[in-house]
Amino acid sequence: MLLEIRDIEVRYQKIAALKGVSMAVPAGGIVTIIGANGAGKTTALRAISGLEPLTRGEIHFDDARIDGLPPEEIVRRGVAHVPEGRRVFPDLTVEENLRTGAFLRTERAAIETSLADVFARFPRLAERRRQWARSMSGGEQQMLAIGRALMSAPRVLLLDEPSMGLSPVMVQEIARIVTDISAQGTPVVLVEQNAEMALLLAQYAYVLETGAVALEGPAGDLHENDHVRRAYLGG
Amino acid sequence: MDLLWQTAINAMYAASYMALIAVGLVMIFGVMGVINFAHGELYMVGAYCVVFLYAQEKFPFLLSVAAGLIFVGIVGLLMERTMFRPLRKNPLGGLIASIGFLLILQTLAVLGFGRRMGHVPPPTQGKIEIFGAILTYQRLFVIVAAILLLAALWAFLKRSKFGWALRACAQDAEAASLQGISMNQTARIAMFIGAALAGVAGALTAPLVSPSPYIGHSIIVTAFIIIIVGGIGSLEGAVIAAVLYAFVHTFVTTFFDGVIANIVGLALMFAVLVVRPTGLFGARERA
Repeated sequence: MLLEIRDIEVRYQKIAALKGVSMAVPAGGIVTIIGANGAGKTTALRAISGLEPLTRGEIHFDDARIDGLPPEEIVRRGVAHVPEGRRVFPDLTVEENLRTGAFLRTERAAIETSLADVFARFPRLAERRRQWARSMSGGEQQMLAIGRALMSAPRVLLLDEPSMGLSPVMVQEIARIVTDISAQGTPVVLVEQNAEMALLLAQYAYVLETGAVALEGPAGDLHENDHVRRAYLGG
Repeated sequence: MDLLWQTAINAMYAASYMALIAVGLVMIFGVMGVINFAHGELYMVGAYCVVFLYAQEKFPFLLSVAAGLIFVGIVGLLMERTMFRPLRKNPLGGLIASIGFLLILQTLAVLGFGRRMGHVPPPTQGKIEIFGAILTYQRLFVIVAAILLLAALWAFLKRSKFGWALRACAQDAEAASLQGISMNQTARIAMFIGAALAGVAGALTAPLVSPSPYIGHSIIVTAFIIIIVGGIGSLEGAVIAAVLYAFVHTFVTTFFDGVIANIVGLALMFAVLVVRPTGLFGARERA
């Protein structure tokens, strides 16, 4: 397993947001985490990236323990995180936003190659490379946030609610992009409220309920599961 | 007409060093979220570097200014490490610590140089005439140096990787950390630059003001007005507000007097806040 979470607990003051969660992400494909608002999906990704300290448990990436490391060190090891709400830098241009994603990389030529790759993947970003990020639409900002994460040449990509607030057409577009990224060799951890989309894209899925894994299994199986259908797929 | 033009030239001079101070203050606030109350004292320490090295020890003026820039920058690094970093989750604590540090710097200046105003003989005596207005070389030097320093800062922020990192961190520190940008490293850079700009402003103007351990006080009040008018967090705003404030203040001082000028300065801040509560170039509300 490329990324393993072992029995982690995260507390916000007295309240446990994650109470003993374990997950495993293989070196290829898409793993999804679905669940309701407040189930702990975002917290799980934040814990992996070092934004939330653990009160119990361990996180291993590539056979090394990464919990307790500062976020920048976790990025350096190859974990890229597209946070909830995109969080692009509003007063940086599109190109500057992308280049901050490559902050830790030093090989100039390889950075330029990555930039060209991102522009090829997202032609809209190439058209707008000198625009302020704040002037872009929600879908474009999501592309920018994903592009920025790809600029770090990640070994795993964490995506937090990429479909949030987007039009159905744009959600389709994002789904295609996520599939492409995974097909081209970067494993993806996809957190989604849009369970239908997530279960279609992913090979393996975890269902989080109030801070614990309620169900897990191959995404296709969960898609047919009665509980999942009732609770997350609207029937 | 001559007096108007002469006053405008004088205002240019005031604007140049106030811009250096205000930009540094904004930079520290932008990256670390802390109001550095000791910023005026960093200016004072810069001035005393020139008092000591140039006036007392007879080192060349330019070398003394450069030493002031670096020394005050290092004082800034010290502040970051000992106060602002441990208090990062507590911006109010950082502010209070900086007030304490202000008093320490003042006391050290009194211990080292006495309470009285220092005197720095002007390194140059000449002056030029621009369309009838007189500008001493000393003041011209401050204006040129400020413009060059601000241009260098601009280039750093827009063209270098650490410049982007600094701006990214000021806009969203957590998202910046997810790009591998270390908060500690960014804070060090911002603090060094911000303090060094205040220090170099003090060093450059030392021959033109009479440095005393207490000059930081009026400087910080003016700097606060400027960054509030410009919009807290906006570097461009700080520069433009420094020019605006310097012109208003210098003109009112010349045609009325200094006390009225201070009142008008505060009225200017009040008027801007009524019309635009986030200042002229203040950040829009962020989601």
